[in-house]
Amino acid sequence: MKKYFAITLAIAVVALAACNSSNNNSTASQTDANKDTTAAVHQTQDTMPAGMNMNNTTTVSVKDVIAAYLQMKNAFTNDNTNDAATAGKNLQAAFINLDTKTLSADQQKTINDITDDAKEHAEHIGANGGNIAHQREHFDLLSKDMADLVKTLGTGGQTLYKDFCPMYNNKKGAYWLSETKEIKNPYLGKAMPACGVMKEEIKQ
Amino acid sequence: MKRIKKISLVLLVLLIAIQFLHPARNESLQQLPTDIATNYKVPDSVFRILKTACYDCHSNNTRYPWYSNIQPMAWMMANHISNGKEELNFSEFGGYSIRRQTSKFKSIADQVKDDAMPLWSYELMHKDANLSDDEKKLIMNWAQILEDSLSANN
Repeated sequence: MKKYFAITLAIAVVALAACNSSNNNSTASQTDANKDTTAAVHQTQDTMPAGMNMNNTTTVSVKDVIAAYLQMKNAFTNDNTNDAATAGKNLQAAFINLDTKTLSADQQKTINDITDDAKEHAEHIGANGGNIAHQREHFDLLSKDMADLVKTLGTGGQTLYKDFCPMYNNKKGAYWLSETKEIKNPYLGKAMPACGVMKEEIKQ
Repeated sequence: MKRIKKISLVLLVLLIAIQFLHPARNESLQQLPTDIATNYKVPDSVFRILKTACYDCHSNNTRYPWYSNIQPMAWMMANHISNGKEELNFSEFGGYSIRRQTSKFKSIADQVKDDAMPLWSYELMHKDANLSDDEKKLIMNWAQILEDSLSANN
Protein backbone atom coordinates (compact mmCIF):
# COMPACT_ATOMS: atom_id res chain seq x y z
CA MET A 1 0.00 0.00 0.00
CA LYS A 2 2.85 2.30 0.88
CA LYS A 3 4.32 1.69 -2.53
CA TYR A 4 1.10 2.65 -4.27
CA PHE A 5 0.87 5.79 -2.28
CA ALA A 6 4.36 6.76 -3.33
CA ILE A 7 3.52 6.11 -6.96
CA THR A 8 0.35 8.14 -6.75
CA LEU A 9 2.13 10.97 -5.07
CA ALA A 10 4.75 10.92 -7.80
CA ILE A 11 2.04 11.07 -10.45
CA ALA A 12 0.35 13.94 -8.67
CA VAL A 13 3.60 15.86 -8.41
CA VAL A 14 4.38 15.31 -12.08
CA ALA A 15 0.87 16.40 -13.02
CA LEU A 16 1.18 19.56 -10.97
CA ALA A 17 4.59 20.33 -12.37
CA ALA A 18 3.23 19.84 -15.88
CA CYS A 19 0.40 22.24 -15.15
CA ASN A 20 2.79 24.84 -13.87
CA SER A 21 5.07 24.54 -16.85
CA SER A 22 2.22 25.79 -19.02
CA ASN A 23 3.10 29.08 -17.41
CA ASN A 24 4.62 31.68 -19.60
CA ASN A 25 8.34 31.16 -19.79
CA SER A 26 9.33 34.35 -18.15
CA THR A 27 7.03 34.05 -15.17
CA ALA A 28 8.03 30.49 -14.47
CA SER A 29 11.74 31.04 -14.55
CA GLN A 30 11.29 34.27 -12.75
CA THR A 31 9.81 32.75 -9.66
CA ASP A 32 12.75 30.43 -9.58
CA ALA A 33 15.11 33.35 -9.73
CA ASN A 34 13.17 35.19 -7.06
CA LYS A 35 12.98 32.28 -4.73
CA ASP A 36 16.63 31.76 -4.82
CA THR A 37 18.70 34.83 -5.10
CA THR A 38 21.39 33.12 -3.11
CA ALA A 39 21.64 30.48 -5.80
CA ALA A 40 22.01 33.25 -8.35
CA VAL A 41 24.83 34.69 -6.33
CA HIS A 42 26.59 31.36 -6.09
CA GLN A 43 26.17 30.78 -9.75
CA THR A 44 27.55 34.22 -10.39
CA GLN A 45 30.68 33.38 -8.54
CA ASP A 46 31.21 30.51 -10.92
CA THR A 47 30.42 32.39 -14.08
CA MET A 48 31.79 35.84 -13.37
CA PRO A 49 34.67 36.68 -15.63
CA ALA A 50 38.10 36.76 -14.06
CA GLY A 51 38.87 40.01 -12.37
CA MET A 52 35.42 40.24 -10.80
CA ASN A 53 36.59 39.03 -7.51
CA MET A 54 33.40 38.01 -5.81
CA ASN A 55 34.70 35.05 -3.89
CA ASN A 56 36.28 36.93 -1.06
CA THR A 57 33.58 39.45 -0.50
CA THR A 58 29.81 39.54 -0.58
CA THR A 59 29.63 43.14 -1.71
CA VAL A 60 30.53 44.45 -5.12
CA SER A 61 31.50 47.87 -6.42
CA VAL A 62 30.11 49.93 -9.27
CA LYS A 63 33.02 48.64 -11.35
CA ASP A 64 31.67 45.09 -11.12
CA VAL A 65 28.19 46.26 -12.04
CA ILE A 66 29.55 48.03 -15.10
CA ALA A 67 31.62 44.99 -16.06
CA ALA A 68 28.52 42.77 -16.01
CA TYR A 69 26.55 45.36 -17.97
CA LEU A 70 29.27 45.62 -20.62
CA GLN A 71 29.43 41.83 -20.82
CA MET A 72 25.72 41.93 -21.63
CA LYS A 73 26.05 44.79 -24.08
CA ASN A 74 28.75 42.91 -25.98
CA ALA A 75 26.59 39.79 -26.08
CA PHE A 76 23.83 41.85 -27.71
CA THR A 77 26.18 43.34 -30.30
CA ASN A 78 26.95 39.74 -31.28
CA ASP A 79 23.25 38.76 -31.27
CA ASN A 80 24.12 36.20 -28.61
CA THR A 81 20.98 35.67 -26.58
CA ASN A 82 22.41 33.03 -24.24
CA ASP A 83 25.46 35.05 -23.29
CA ALA A 84 23.17 38.00 -22.68
CA ALA A 85 21.09 35.81 -20.36
CA THR A 86 24.20 34.73 -18.44
CA ALA A 87 25.27 38.34 -18.11
CA GLY A 88 21.75 39.19 -16.95
CA LYS A 89 22.08 36.77 -14.06
CA ASN A 90 25.51 38.18 -13.19
CA LEU A 91 24.20 41.70 -13.31
CA GLN A 92 21.18 40.87 -11.17
CA ALA A 93 23.48 39.45 -8.51
CA ALA A 94 25.78 42.46 -8.79
CA PHE A 95 22.87 44.85 -8.20
CA ILE A 96 21.76 42.87 -5.17
CA ASN A 97 25.25 42.96 -3.68
CA LEU A 98 26.15 46.48 -4.64
CA ASP A 99 27.80 48.20 -1.71
CA THR A 100 26.03 51.47 -0.85
CA LYS A 101 27.10 51.76 2.78
CA THR A 102 29.50 54.64 2.22
CA LEU A 103 26.87 56.77 0.46
CA SER A 104 24.78 59.51 2.01
CA ALA A 105 21.14 58.73 2.80
CA ASP A 106 20.01 60.75 -0.21
CA GLN A 107 22.37 58.97 -2.55
CA GLN A 108 21.33 55.63 -1.12
CA LYS A 109 17.72 56.37 -1.92
CA THR A 110 18.61 57.35 -5.47
CA ILE A 111 20.66 54.20 -5.94
CA ASN A 112 18.02 51.94 -4.41
CA ASP A 113 15.45 53.44 -6.75
CA ILE A 114 17.68 52.69 -9.70
CA THR A 115 18.72 49.19 -8.67
CA ASP A 116 15.16 48.17 -7.77
CA ASP A 117 14.17 48.83 -11.34
CA ALA A 118 17.41 47.69 -12.98
CA LYS A 119 17.55 44.38 -11.17
CA GLU A 120 14.14 43.50 -12.57
CA HIS A 121 15.35 44.17 -16.11
CA ALA A 122 18.50 42.13 -15.51
CA GLU A 123 16.34 39.32 -14.19
CA HIS A 124 14.10 39.34 -17.27
CA ILE A 125 17.09 39.34 -19.58
CA GLY A 126 18.52 36.45 -17.57
CA ALA A 127 15.28 34.48 -17.77
CA ASN A 128 14.60 35.02 -21.48
CA GLY A 129 17.53 33.40 -23.24
CA GLY A 130 16.19 32.53 -26.71
CA ASN A 131 13.98 35.61 -26.98
CA ILE A 132 16.46 38.32 -27.90
CA ALA A 133 13.79 40.82 -28.97
CA HIS A 134 12.28 40.73 -25.50
CA GLN A 135 15.71 40.86 -23.89
CA ARG A 136 16.53 44.00 -25.88
CA GLU A 137 13.30 45.69 -24.75
CA HIS A 138 14.57 45.36 -21.21
CA PHE A 139 18.11 46.33 -22.19
CA ASP A 140 16.73 49.68 -23.37
CA LEU A 141 15.28 50.43 -19.92
CA LEU A 142 18.27 48.93 -18.16
CA SER A 143 20.65 51.20 -20.08
CA LYS A 144 18.74 54.26 -18.84
CA ASP A 145 19.15 53.00 -15.30
CA MET A 146 22.86 52.37 -15.86
CA ALA A 147 23.42 55.89 -17.18
CA ASP A 148 21.78 57.30 -14.04
CA LEU A 149 23.71 54.92 -11.79
CA VAL A 150 27.00 56.08 -13.25
CA LYS A 151 25.94 59.72 -12.71
CA THR A 152 25.75 59.07 -8.97
CA LEU A 153 28.44 56.46 -8.44
CA GLY A 154 30.94 57.31 -11.15
CA THR A 155 32.41 54.88 -13.64
CA GLY A 156 34.78 53.06 -11.32
CA GLY A 157 37.81 54.60 -12.97
CA GLN A 158 37.15 53.94 -16.64
CA THR A 159 35.96 56.16 -19.46
CA LEU A 160 32.53 55.25 -20.82
CA TYR A 161 30.67 56.46 -23.87
CA LYS A 162 26.96 57.12 -23.99
CA ASP A 163 25.79 56.12 -27.45
CA PHE A 164 22.45 56.59 -29.16
CA CYS A 165 20.70 54.41 -31.72
CA PRO A 166 18.04 56.53 -33.45
CA MET A 167 16.36 53.62 -35.23
CA TYR A 168 15.49 51.20 -32.45
CA ASN A 169 11.95 50.92 -31.07
CA ASN A 170 10.09 52.38 -34.04
CA LYS A 171 12.54 55.25 -34.39
CA LYS A 172 11.99 56.31 -30.81
CA GLY A 173 15.63 55.55 -30.29
CA ALA A 174 17.56 54.07 -27.38
CA TYR A 175 20.76 54.71 -25.48
CA TRP A 176 23.50 52.37 -24.36
CA LEU A 177 26.82 52.65 -22.56
CA SER A 178 30.02 51.43 -24.15
CA GLU A 179 33.67 51.08 -23.19
CA THR A 180 34.86 51.72 -26.75
CA LYS A 181 34.77 54.87 -28.85
CA GLU A 182 33.85 52.80 -31.88
CA ILE A 183 30.11 52.30 -32.34
CA LYS A 184 28.91 48.72 -31.98
CA ASN A 185 25.15 48.67 -31.83
CA PRO A 186 23.64 46.26 -29.27
CA TYR A 187 20.03 46.86 -30.36
CA LEU A 188 20.37 46.01 -34.04
CA GLY A 189 23.34 43.70 -33.59
CA LYS A 190 25.08 42.28 -36.63
CA ALA A 191 22.36 43.60 -38.95
CA MET A 192 23.55 47.20 -38.47
CA PRO A 193 26.60 47.20 -36.21
CA ALA A 194 27.78 50.73 -37.01
CA CYS A 195 24.42 52.44 -36.63
CA GLY A 196 24.43 55.04 -33.89
CA VAL A 197 26.18 58.14 -32.60
CA MET A 198 28.26 58.89 -29.56
CA LYS A 199 26.43 61.49 -27.46
CA GLU A 200 28.61 61.85 -24.43
CA GLU A 201 32.00 60.86 -23.13
CA ILE A 202 31.74 60.01 -19.47
CA LYS A 203 35.10 60.48 -17.82
CA GLN A 204 35.74 58.83 -14.51
CA MET B 1 -5.74 -5.51 -13.17
CA LYS B 2 -6.01 -5.50 -9.42
CA ARG B 3 -3.07 -3.16 -9.31
CA ILE B 4 -4.62 -0.63 -11.68
CA LYS B 5 -7.77 -0.69 -9.62
CA LYS B 6 -5.82 0.02 -6.48
CA ILE B 7 -3.87 2.84 -8.06
CA SER B 8 -6.96 4.53 -9.40
CA LEU B 9 -8.59 4.20 -6.04
CA VAL B 10 -5.66 5.89 -4.36
CA LEU B 11 -5.65 8.61 -7.01
CA LEU B 12 -9.32 9.19 -6.47
CA VAL B 13 -8.90 9.44 -2.73
CA LEU B 14 -6.04 11.88 -3.20
CA LEU B 15 -8.04 13.94 -5.64
CA ILE B 16 -10.89 14.15 -3.16
CA ALA B 17 -8.51 14.94 -0.30
CA ILE B 18 -6.96 17.93 -2.03
CA GLN B 19 -10.40 19.40 -2.62
CA PHE B 20 -10.41 20.39 1.03
CA LEU B 21 -7.36 22.61 0.57
CA HIS B 22 -8.17 26.17 -0.38
CA PRO B 23 -5.42 28.68 -1.11
CA ALA B 24 -6.14 32.21 0.11
CA ARG B 25 -8.24 34.15 -2.37
CA ASN B 26 -7.03 37.32 -4.03
CA GLU B 27 -10.01 39.51 -3.22
CA SER B 28 -9.87 42.92 -1.64
CA LEU B 29 -12.93 45.09 -1.95
CA GLN B 30 -11.41 48.39 -0.95
CA GLN B 31 -9.70 50.48 -3.54
CA LEU B 32 -6.24 51.50 -2.38
CA PRO B 33 -4.97 55.07 -2.78
CA THR B 34 -2.16 53.51 -4.82
CA ASP B 35 -4.60 52.21 -7.43
CA ILE B 36 -3.67 53.16 -10.98
CA ALA B 37 -7.06 54.76 -11.55
CA THR B 38 -6.55 57.22 -8.71
CA ASN B 39 -3.06 58.15 -9.91
CA TYR B 40 -3.43 58.31 -13.68
CA LYS B 41 -6.09 59.08 -16.23
CA VAL B 42 -7.50 55.79 -17.36
CA PRO B 43 -10.14 56.30 -20.08
CA ASP B 44 -13.22 54.08 -19.76
CA SER B 45 -12.34 52.17 -22.91
CA VAL B 46 -8.90 51.33 -21.52
CA PHE B 47 -10.20 50.59 -18.05
CA ARG B 48 -12.68 48.08 -19.43
CA ILE B 49 -9.89 46.18 -21.16
CA LEU B 50 -7.63 46.28 -18.11
CA LYS B 51 -10.46 44.88 -16.02
CA THR B 52 -11.41 42.06 -18.36
CA ALA B 53 -7.94 41.09 -19.61
CA CYS B 54 -5.41 42.07 -16.94
CA TYR B 55 -6.87 42.54 -13.48
CA ASP B 56 -7.41 38.87 -12.68
CA CYS B 57 -3.65 38.42 -12.28
CA HIS B 58 -2.42 42.01 -12.03
CA SER B 59 -4.57 43.50 -9.28
CA ASN B 60 -5.76 42.72 -5.77
CA ASN B 61 -9.07 41.54 -7.15
CA THR B 62 -9.56 38.35 -9.09
CA ARG B 63 -12.92 37.41 -10.58
CA TYR B 64 -12.91 33.73 -9.78
CA PRO B 65 -14.56 31.34 -12.25
CA TRP B 66 -16.46 28.29 -10.97
CA TYR B 67 -13.57 25.91 -11.62
CA SER B 68 -11.35 27.89 -9.28
CA ASN B 69 -13.00 25.90 -6.50
CA ILE B 70 -11.60 22.68 -7.88
CA GLN B 71 -8.09 21.45 -7.16
CA PRO B 72 -5.51 21.47 -8.61
CA MET B 73 -6.94 24.43 -10.59
CA ALA B 74 -7.05 26.55 -7.44
CA TRP B 75 -3.33 26.05 -6.84
CA MET B 76 -2.39 26.80 -10.41
CA MET B 77 -4.45 29.95 -10.33
CA ALA B 78 -3.00 31.11 -7.01
CA ASN B 79 0.46 30.57 -8.45
CA HIS B 80 -0.29 32.58 -11.61
CA ILE B 81 -1.82 35.40 -9.61
CA SER B 82 1.09 35.68 -7.21
CA ASN B 83 3.59 35.76 -10.12
CA GLY B 84 1.47 38.26 -11.99
CA LYS B 85 1.11 40.61 -9.05
CA GLU B 86 4.79 40.52 -8.29
CA GLU B 87 5.50 41.62 -11.84
CA LEU B 88 2.81 44.29 -12.05
CA ASN B 89 0.02 45.15 -9.66
CA PHE B 90 -2.39 47.83 -10.84
CA SER B 91 -3.83 48.12 -7.32
CA GLU B 92 -0.43 49.14 -5.95
CA PHE B 93 0.91 50.93 -9.00
CA GLY B 94 1.03 54.35 -7.33
CA GLY B 95 3.34 52.94 -4.67
CA TYR B 96 6.05 52.16 -7.23
CA SER B 97 8.90 54.62 -7.74
CA ILE B 98 8.42 56.93 -10.74
CA ARG B 99 11.28 55.12 -12.43
CA ARG B 100 9.55 51.78 -12.00
CA GLN B 101 6.20 53.20 -13.12
CA THR B 102 7.85 54.47 -16.30
CA SER B 103 9.37 51.05 -16.88
CA LYS B 104 6.06 49.34 -16.32
CA PHE B 105 4.23 51.56 -18.81
CA LYS B 106 6.80 50.69 -21.44
CA SER B 107 6.61 46.99 -20.59
CA ILE B 108 2.81 47.05 -20.80
CA ALA B 109 3.02 48.45 -24.32
CA ASP B 110 5.82 46.05 -25.30
CA GLN B 111 4.11 42.96 -23.91
CA VAL B 112 0.84 43.74 -25.69
CA LYS B 113 2.68 44.57 -28.92
CA ASP B 114 4.63 41.28 -28.75
CA ASP B 115 1.44 39.32 -27.99
CA ALA B 116 3.14 38.03 -24.85
CA MET B 117 0.27 39.28 -22.71
CA PRO B 118 -2.40 38.26 -21.93
CA LEU B 119 -1.06 34.71 -21.73
CA TRP B 120 -2.52 32.42 -24.39
CA SER B 121 -3.51 29.95 -21.69
CA TYR B 122 -5.52 32.69 -20.01
CA GLU B 123 -7.15 33.68 -23.29
CA LEU B 124 -8.14 30.07 -23.76
CA MET B 125 -10.31 30.25 -20.66
CA HIS B 126 -11.35 33.90 -21.04
CA LYS B 127 -12.55 34.64 -24.54
CA ASP B 128 -13.01 38.34 -23.79
CA ALA B 129 -9.30 38.63 -22.91
CA ASN B 130 -8.44 37.84 -26.52
CA LEU B 131 -7.77 41.42 -27.57
CA SER B 132 -8.62 42.74 -31.02
CA ASP B 133 -6.06 44.84 -32.91
CA ASP B 134 -7.98 47.99 -32.00
CA GLU B 135 -8.01 47.08 -28.34
CA LYS B 136 -4.28 46.36 -28.43
CA LYS B 137 -3.64 49.74 -30.03
CA LEU B 138 -5.74 51.42 -27.39
CA ILE B 139 -3.68 49.92 -24.57
CA MET B 140 -0.35 50.52 -26.31
CA ASN B 141 -1.10 54.17 -27.03
CA TRP B 142 -2.37 54.79 -23.54
CA ALA B 143 0.68 53.21 -21.90
CA GLN B 144 3.09 54.91 -24.27
CA ILE B 145 1.64 58.39 -23.70
CA LEU B 146 2.00 57.94 -19.95
CA GLU B 147 5.52 56.56 -20.33
CA ASP B 148 6.53 59.52 -22.49
CA SER B 149 5.05 62.10 -20.15
CA LEU B 150 6.76 60.49 -17.16
CA SER B 151 10.17 60.31 -18.82
CA ALA B 152 9.82 63.88 -20.11
CA ASN B 153 9.11 65.21 -16.62
CA ASN B 154 11.74 63.24 -14.73
